[in-house]
Amino acid sequence: MSWRNIRLIFQRETGDQLRDRRTLFMVVVLPLLLYPALGLGMLQMSLLFSEQPRTVVMLGADHLPEPPLLNETGNRIAEQWFTLPSDTETLNIVTDVDPTAAKEESAETDTDDENTDAPSETEVPFPDAAGGVDVDEATAETAPDEAEEERQVQLLAAREIRTRLTQLADLRKKQATLPEESPQAAEVVSQIDSLLSEISELFAASNIQVLIIIPEGFAAYMEAENERLATRSNEGAIAPEDRLRPTIIRNSANEKSLIAYGRVREALDSWEQAILNQRLEMANLPADLTRPVNADRLDLAKEEELAANVWSRLFPAMLIIMAMTGAFHPAIDLGAGEKERGTMETLLISPALRGEIVIGKFLTVLLFSLVTAMLNLASMGMTGLHILNSAGGGSLQGLGDFSVPPVAQLMWVAVMAVPLASLFASLSLAFALFARSSKEGQYYLTPLLTVTLGLTVFCLSPAVEITPFYSLVPVMGPALLLKGLLLGEAAASNLSWYLIPVLTTSLIYSGLGLYWAMDQFQREDVLFRESERFDLRLWVRHLFRDKEATPNFSEAVFCFVLVMLLQFAMLNVFSGALNSAPPGEQGMAMVKLLVIQQLAIIASPALFMGILLTTSLKKTFQFRWPKAKFWLLGLTLPIVLHPLAVELQQRLYWFFPKLPAHAQAALATLGDSSIPWYVILLAFALAPAICEELAFRGLIMSGFRRKGRDGLAIVFSGILFGVMHMIPQQVFNASLLGLVLGLLAVKSGSIFPAMLFHFVNNALGVLHGNYAAMRENSPLLQQTTIVSEFGVQYSGWVVLLALVIAIGLLTWLFRSEKYVDAELQE
Amino acid sequence: MIDVRHLSKYFDDLRLGRVYALKDVTFDVQPGEIFGLLGPNGAGKTTCLRILSTVLRPSEGHAEVAGFDVSSHPTQVRQNIGFMSGNTGIYDRMTAWELVEYYGRLYGLPEDLLQQRLAEVFETLQMDDIRDVLGAKMSTGMKQKVSIARTIIHDPPVLIFDEPTSGLDVLVARALLKAIESLRSQGKSIIFSTHIMREVERLCDRIAIIHKGHILTMGTIEELGEKHNQPDTEELFFDVISKYEQTGETMTSP
Repeated sequence: MSWRNIRLIFQRETGDQLRDRRTLFMVVVLPLLLYPALGLGMLQMSLLFSEQPRTVVMLGADHLPEPPLLNETGNRIAEQWFTLPSDTETLNIVTDVDPTAAKEESAETDTDDENTDAPSETEVPFPDAAGGVDVDEATAETAPDEAEEERQVQLLAAREIRTRLTQLADLRKKQATLPEESPQAAEVVSQIDSLLSEISELFAASNIQVLIIIPEGFAAYMEAENERLATRSNEGAIAPEDRLRPTIIRNSANEKSLIAYGRVREALDSWEQAILNQRLEMANLPADLTRPVNADRLDLAKEEELAANVWSRLFPAMLIIMAMTGAFHPAIDLGAGEKERGTMETLLISPALRGEIVIGKFLTVLLFSLVTAMLNLASMGMTGLHILNSAGGGSLQGLGDFSVPPVAQLMWVAVMAVPLASLFASLSLAFALFARSSKEGQYYLTPLLTVTLGLTVFCLSPAVEITPFYSLVPVMGPALLLKGLLLGEAAASNLSWYLIPVLTTSLIYSGLGLYWAMDQFQREDVLFRESERFDLRLWVRHLFRDKEATPNFSEAVFCFVLVMLLQFAMLNVFSGALNSAPPGEQGMAMVKLLVIQQLAIIASPALFMGILLTTSLKKTFQFRWPKAKFWLLGLTLPIVLHPLAVELQQRLYWFFPKLPAHAQAALATLGDSSIPWYVILLAFALAPAICEELAFRGLIMSGFRRKGRDGLAIVFSGILFGVMHMIPQQVFNASLLGLVLGLLAVKSGSIFPAMLFHFVNNALGVLHGNYAAMRENSPLLQQTTIVSEFGVQYSGWVVLLALVIAIGLLTWLFRSEKYVDAELQE
Repeated sequence: MIDVRHLSKYFDDLRLGRVYALKDVTFDVQPGEIFGLLGPNGAGKTTCLRILSTVLRPSEGHAEVAGFDVSSHPTQVRQNIGFMSGNTGIYDRMTAWELVEYYGRLYGLPEDLLQQRLAEVFETLQMDDIRDVLGAKMSTGMKQKVSIARTIIHDPPVLIFDEPTSGLDVLVARALLKAIESLRSQGKSIIFSTHIMREVERLCDRIAIIHKGHILTMGTIEELGEKHNQPDTEELFFDVISKYEQTGETMTSP
């Protein structure tokens, strides 16, 4: 491979993309314009929003008790009652109290005969309400007369509602006295209903968002109550139902009303609390009477950490999405687009190697992905800061502080962008090379986008933090690490060692993606695919007609997918069956379910596919009698590998997430003494040994071996075997065992030694689960094992001895001559 | 320079099962010779030429180009050939000069030699007026010229033309054939595929008529005329193919 060619191709592709207006627009222009435009839009919206305070009408404001709920001018709720003082601006209070109280009186009498257009009202000047006070611009701009007119209309409607409410209260009292189901009661109910709908109509038409009615004499009543409580006398006590109470009317189905009500409630609550405190003070009671526990809260977050919190959520998510988007379009253009335009063939005939072409293209996609991500983040950050500076942080304070994170932390964004971008670049390039046309490329890349978005959303959740296990998962590793690193310097120093696994695995994943992309280039059917109509009938016929001795690669993959889907589908059925089992028999129920699962979900798909789709079960499943030495290996290898597996699992204990409850229940069954030992062996050792081997070393590995590379077939079937076990601990262990099992099956040309191995291995696992109980009576176990915090472990010398023998046996197996099927070689 | 022995290529098709695009094909091409591969659409011409240019691998048989086996030494083969097809493979966003320069560099020409070759090729093909035209703005004729320039920039001993005249008007096609003729005089081994009899007649030293993956007959125009008793080449082409359709006979053996 020559760097010169890679550089040449990289330069050409990059230059080509830079000349493409669409790409330039996507990568550079869009982010530079989009966020400022969005920001401006948001500012505009928030201005519009703040220009429209909600209207709250308060009747009987002069009956409000102390302390003053409203401000001096009476058109706002006093700032002190809000958590954010600026919130006071969002509510326009219209009261029936006015400096020109005399005229107000006359207005009230006028309204009683429902003559809204009484000329006397419109002529009334109210200079204070509009001009004299510091109201917001919107109100100031409208003519004072108009505003006043509106105010009068609203007050009128409010009074109408108040009248109806009084009637409603009377009706309800009447209803309470009437016997239920009497005709009079029904009439009252219908009257109530019509009154309610009248009120509702009036309220909707009034353009009032919240109406507060303070009953007449409320202040006096409150004062009397305070007095009474302070002296602790029961004299003059009022029955609860007769106490005076303000009424608050809103329509929670209306969003404006809902928002206004939320604010009103906040203010009223703190006002009420103040009144309560006043009352307590007057009564010589402690102020914390109403809060007997009153826990002390201590928040250790520093200001920059609060800021980081917002960025630490936003940046990883944006980085992932933008790196993906940035890779998406160039990849399609460089892969499928080049095929579509017919330039690919010319390039393939040039002396540039396939690898050079792929790497050159990959570097181009990587560059664009990185630049897109960085420009987007920078533009977004700048816009955000600018807006915050100009708008003031107040309205966003609820979300956290948005001040800039330190430069050192921003550097992490750049560092993490590289593994993310290279993963996306290699994957999307591979997909794009597989596609015939740009359109097809978009179809293939969309699932990748969807999966990525899913992972992003998962990483966004504050509960998810990086763990050793997550650090190995593509996309999640870098995203979670970045999230942690952005959270502050204290966290960063603890996390820095995660850099090694995250960067290494990201490198490996990108490498695999690249390898796959290069593999596309070696495949004639991918390079020169003609558009053909997919005909399901033809395809099925071909499947049964053109059967071969062993399954092909796709059939093997399909078998695995089928096993996984069945497992997933049966999850609910199984857990349902398990939960419905009587308490004493759960262990037995679990045993039965395990056997059924092995037979129905794992063995059956493989066997059926073998029978239907291949001509030779013997060759597909390797039903051959192996040489004696493989029997020996199948018996001895699991015995010497067992202590090593136990040791490894315990050494890696910290690495994996905790076992879920149902898995622990399954493990507990191993030690359940009420179940006979042979049943346990059947469920945990014999059934898996036969069924899982049929599927994984049988159909799936045979299919993979058709590609001609036995080594890769062993590795892939081993990994899939691990993946099937779902629980992380087992996935790891089973994958390693899968490698040995695969090697054994390939070398011996038979599935039986692998079955023996599998049986012995699982049986030892069952036995190991019982060591704790057996240890007391067994001198052998006492000599060979020790008890640690993880349970019973093998002594160091046993492990060492096992290691030596295992290396010997594995070498023997490795050096053995591979069984070659002469017919299949054809 | 080109040596093809018992070459076969098959594909597995859902409907038809195993389909042979090329079956037991044998021929050779000498330096200074233009060998014509003549056949109707879908005869297997492109498959054959793609194997020679190493983008497809042979299923059976061997092919050697410039002394290198196409399966075992594809890179050396690619270094020694120039390939041009009717599909010109011109990048939209590169100028004529940039494109030919790019390929020259991919072929590993040292910079001074490259500039010299570029000047030469642009002059001989009379392309100096289009050197700064972007691919997207070129006419079909211009693209064809650039395509030839790209094919010969590294001065390869073997040239492969896969239906280069398809879609060209008579004037451009004639100019193209002239260019190919002049390449013969430089001692190149040239293989040329087409379905147009007249072009073969004008240009080729030897021809093979290929149909459904089989070579039906091979030789110089005169030899074939005598052998099949048909002086008119167009008729000859028709006769050979219809005879094969009726009897399934090939006439490769004399």
